[in-house]
Amino acid sequence: MEKALENRRVGVLKRIFAVNEFGLLISLAVIFAFFGATSHYFLIPRNLSNILGQVSLPLIAGVGLSLLLICGEVDISIGSLQAVAALPLVHALNGTHSLALGVFLALATGAAVGIINGLLVTRLKIPSLIATLGMYYALRGAVYLITGKVAVADRSGSELFFLIGNGKVFRFFPYSAILMFVILFVFMYILKNTTYGRRLYAVGGNADVARSIGIDVVKIKFSAFVICSVLSSVSAVLLASRLGSANHLAGTGFEFQVVAAVVLGGVSLSGGVGTLLGAFIGVLILGIIQNGLGMLNVNTMWQLVITGGIIIMSVAIDELKKRRG
Amino acid sequence: MNENGGYVLQVREIVKEFPGVRALDGVRFDLARGEVHALVGENGAGKSTLIKILAGVYAKDEGEILFEGKPAVITSPTDSLRLGIKVVFQELALIPNMTVAENVFLESFPLKKNKAIDWVRMNERTTDILLSIGLPISPRSKVGGLTVSQQQMVEIARALSHEAKVVVMDEPTSALSPNEIKFLFNVMNKLKKLGIGIVYVTHKLEEVFEISDRVTVLRDGRLISTKPVGETGTDEVVRDMVGRSITTLFPRTHPGSRTHAAANAPVLQVENLSTEKKLRDVSLSVHAGEVVGVFGLLGAGRSELAKAIFGLDRINRGRILIEGRELRSGSPSHSVKMGIGLLTENRKEEGLVLQMSVSQNITLTSIRELATLGLINRKMETERSREFVERFSIKTPSLRQKVMFLSGGNQQKVLLARWLMKSLRLIILDEPTRGIDVGAKAEIHKLIDELAKEGLAVLVMTSEMPELLGVSDRILVMSKGSVTGEFPREQTTQEDILAAAIL
Repeated sequence: MEKALENRRVGVLKRIFAVNEFGLLISLAVIFAFFGATSHYFLIPRNLSNILGQVSLPLIAGVGLSLLLICGEVDISIGSLQAVAALPLVHALNGTHSLALGVFLALATGAAVGIINGLLVTRLKIPSLIATLGMYYALRGAVYLITGKVAVADRSGSELFFLIGNGKVFRFFPYSAILMFVILFVFMYILKNTTYGRRLYAVGGNADVARSIGIDVVKIKFSAFVICSVLSSVSAVLLASRLGSANHLAGTGFEFQVVAAVVLGGVSLSGGVGTLLGAFIGVLILGIIQNGLGMLNVNTMWQLVITGGIIIMSVAIDELKKRRG
Repeated sequence: MNENGGYVLQVREIVKEFPGVRALDGVRFDLARGEVHALVGENGAGKSTLIKILAGVYAKDEGEILFEGKPAVITSPTDSLRLGIKVVFQELALIPNMTVAENVFLESFPLKKNKAIDWVRMNERTTDILLSIGLPISPRSKVGGLTVSQQQMVEIARALSHEAKVVVMDEPTSALSPNEIKFLFNVMNKLKKLGIGIVYVTHKLEEVFEISDRVTVLRDGRLISTKPVGETGTDEVVRDMVGRSITTLFPRTHPGSRTHAAANAPVLQVENLSTEKKLRDVSLSVHAGEVVGVFGLLGAGRSELAKAIFGLDRINRGRILIEGRELRSGSPSHSVKMGIGLLTENRKEEGLVLQMSVSQNITLTSIRELATLGLINRKMETERSREFVERFSIKTPSLRQKVMFLSGGNQQKVLLARWLMKSLRLIILDEPTRGIDVGAKAEIHKLIDELAKEGLAVLVMTSEMPELLGVSDRILVMSKGSVTGEFPREQTTQEDILAAAIL
């Protein structure tokens, strides 16, 4: 009896250490402590609030991208989509002063792009990297054409529109971060507890097996493309609110920032592996590094080099760990 | 003739152990220049292990290999090639997107003085080699577009480009038409004239007597006999291949307990089934509570039959009935709905999701039944999978262990559990114990027996004779895509079964 209890206690400890995200959490803590110790401005409430606001965009899109990566596909058109989806939003605001209509149109644009991506990959069998690379260029080009490379400013004066990207609860907790946590928790629950989540993993883990036990692989992948694009459009709405405009340069490089963060968080590019908790920590780590380096006045060029080094290093460590297994 | 009696290759007292099995136990084998030496034996006899040691894929544990009379060290495929041994495996080692010439010279492209590839010389030499074996194809054609027979010839051409002295062929005729076989034998005779020794691994005894000079029989990793073909016959070779008491390893746990099965209406009826791939006019039936064993040598069409019934392969003619209702062709999900489960022979590629946990793999097909409105009842999931882990005694540290870390036998049990968690009518097991150690084999056989007792119809595809006789109530034998024999288990001998299998 006593022994059983003891075994159980060991089991709990073991389980905590065995959680895949344990290593990530340690890195997060170390990075956090490092910047806290080296910069006077890092730990002040206003900066922490800033970090929460900064990471909410890549995380919201990162949730969608993680779903897609888990089922074995990828989407690198999400940065260009951020610029595209803002256009109907700002135009609708300027024309009708209806935020609801604007948001709806932005999300619908995202859904449409997701449907096209999904069709290209599942019906025409174009590898998703290529299909969405094409989309990445085409969408960006479309934005340049439509805007003539001039940002479309929001002239509606809608306060609500300003608040969704900039408002804070208790002047600390950004609305965008609340939205981020809601989306994160909903999809964590879906991945963990629904048959849909289980199927995403099965399809990404071994599509042949999934097919042979009667899972509709095409449907699952298609749905993930749509979810990814719609969530990216949500981040587009937040970005447009912050910029106060639909900017033709919005979201440049965003796709790689998100891919890097979720891969850092342990979501595998080859499918079937990864959690949203990991993706969340990955986004936090990258966000904090960028913020912290800024606080230390490291110039932006060095920031890029350091960020790149950290991504490569952490994934390399992960691979080594796997090999030792 | 030099001092070693003209032998190009001598293998002495070779031993190779795997966990739980002694795959080779003091085997001797030799090969003379210009000789075709056939190597035969049942599955698991040790043929593949022996040729993999020659190929440098496995390292021997004990014993000695002499090449041209001198001790040879083979620790890698490169060593083996450098010595002059070329093994042509069934899975041809060719790169489909490259040309014939590129494949022939893959290991050492002919170079010009400036280290650039000498394309002209490479194509010319390839043409010469191909002509010498009588194969008029362009060195510039892509290997992927060639027939299996032509691809095999490219492998042989590769051996010639290396000036190999020993060519090992692993079941080369299993995917060939009669004409192509004739062509292959022609080429083999040409190689003999060049003084090349050929090790010929095969299941087909008539070929042994047609092409070889000597035949060696292995059984359970031991050398049984080596004789010139003129001094032996098919009967003797078959007797050497199977002569063992099977009952010790595979106790029949169900003496007569299931004989009533045939009285019920059949669960599965297959009527005149033909597919594009292989099957020709196959008819069979399986009753509730009955284990039907399907035996066949490599390429006989066992796996194809399993896949066709499950809906993974489309059928051209004929139909499949489950309890009298016709099965939709080419739809695995419909087959699952109708209560059919399939355990494929490739556990890792077609069965398991390796990164998923034991529990998730077990519940994969029945996840819908463990969920309401798409929400999984995780407590029920854990309970149900624990139940199966205990019932099948699956050895795993926890339900959350990733299935990739389990042993082959336990992985197979996970797959069995997956299907049995659903209420099935028919389960098809394709080579259920391939690559599994002896102890786990016996456990799986016991499970098969229990399933039948619970009233499931079981179809077992196997190429292992002891397994066939150990688990089946009724035995069907396949050869070249057709059923060539049917035997009640009690009234048959291994000789009868083998005779039908090599028809």
